[in-house]
Amino acid sequence: MPHLAALLRVARRLTFESASAEDLVQETMLLAWRGFHGFQPGSNARAWLFRILFNAFHGEGRKAQRSAGPGPASVVVNAKLQEAVEIAEALQLLPVEQRTVLLLCVVEGFTCREAGEILNVPIGTVMSRLSRARQELRNSLAPQLKAMEAKGAFR
Amino acid sequence: MTDDELDQRLRASVLSEEMDTAQLQRSIRERMKPALLPFWAMATAAGILLVIAGGLAYRAFTPSAPPICVAAARDHGSEILDGVPREWLSDLAAIQSLAAQQGVPREAIAALGSTGYRLERGRLCFLDKQIFLHLVYSKDDFDYSVYLRPRGAQSPFDGSIHQASSGTENLAYFQTDRLIAVFVAEHSSADALAIARAAASVL
Repeated sequence: MPHLAALLRVARRLTFESASAEDLVQETMLLAWRGFHGFQPGSNARAWLFRILFNAFHGEGRKAQRSAGPGPASVVVNAKLQEAVEIAEALQLLPVEQRTVLLLCVVEGFTCREAGEILNVPIGTVMSRLSRARQELRNSLAPQLKAMEAKGAFR
Repeated sequence: MTDDELDQRLRASVLSEEMDTAQLQRSIRERMKPALLPFWAMATAAGILLVIAGGLAYRAFTPSAPPICVAAARDHGSEILDGVPREWLSDLAAIQSLAAQQGVPREAIAALGSTGYRLERGRLCFLDKQIFLHLVYSKDDFDYSVYLRPRGAQSPFDGSIHQASSGTENLAYFQTDRLIAVFVAEHSSADALAIARAAASVL
């Protein structure tokens, strides 16, 4: 099944719960399968799947939690992994709208226009959310990154 | 830290997560299986609806039987199938005499006998407020009725043989230069048509 990993990756960061994320992806794939007649051949199947995922996420009234997610890994084995944990935590603290555009545009590589179509918001909204999200993420990560860079972790 | 650096670190962080989707794929496939049932149920329902719609369309576009034929079917049902007691003539001479009184040529009755059926009985009856000679022919426990009357100035039918049904009765009807004829057979429309064709060639 194509794009399943990408859908699950984003779903995990929407729900912060592995089981809920898998439920959401299952629901997405079933909705896509049943509504395949609505897919226009030649259009972006990946964007179509993500649109279904976000519709399912919002349609089910799932509440994105900002801080109730899993904690950082108990054992941080190296600096790269530690950074990943720090970023995951910072991402988790972002409002869901900002987190969503970061995931779509930065991680999954959608353009702002595509993200706007997926989320059904104007491109300008995506761009402003993206800008705010980057700024908040940068603010959240600043102390940790500064400390880690001071230790030469990224060299 | 620039946007690009931030994006790069964010991507690296998120994409470093191991994604095992095998179990998820199995779950999705399992859930898709029962979803097939409604599809087939819908397909079956659609098929049934199609058959019903076809039947309704067939009935809607099939010409309805003329009033004389409807009356003939009703008369055949009550007098032949239900066996309502009536006074019948069974003597050929008496029937031919009765026919002649009504303007139906004697030879027509004899000609109908040449179709392989035997004349059983005859009487007069009203169909749609008109008097018809009702004859019952039989062969191998199979009866059919033929209703005859002289053709008037305003004939209800045309020269070709038509088929119709009314209730459970199958009918065929036509007119010649001299007569109006309605045939009723309960077995099948093919029987009624075959008898009418045989009769049309001799009447």
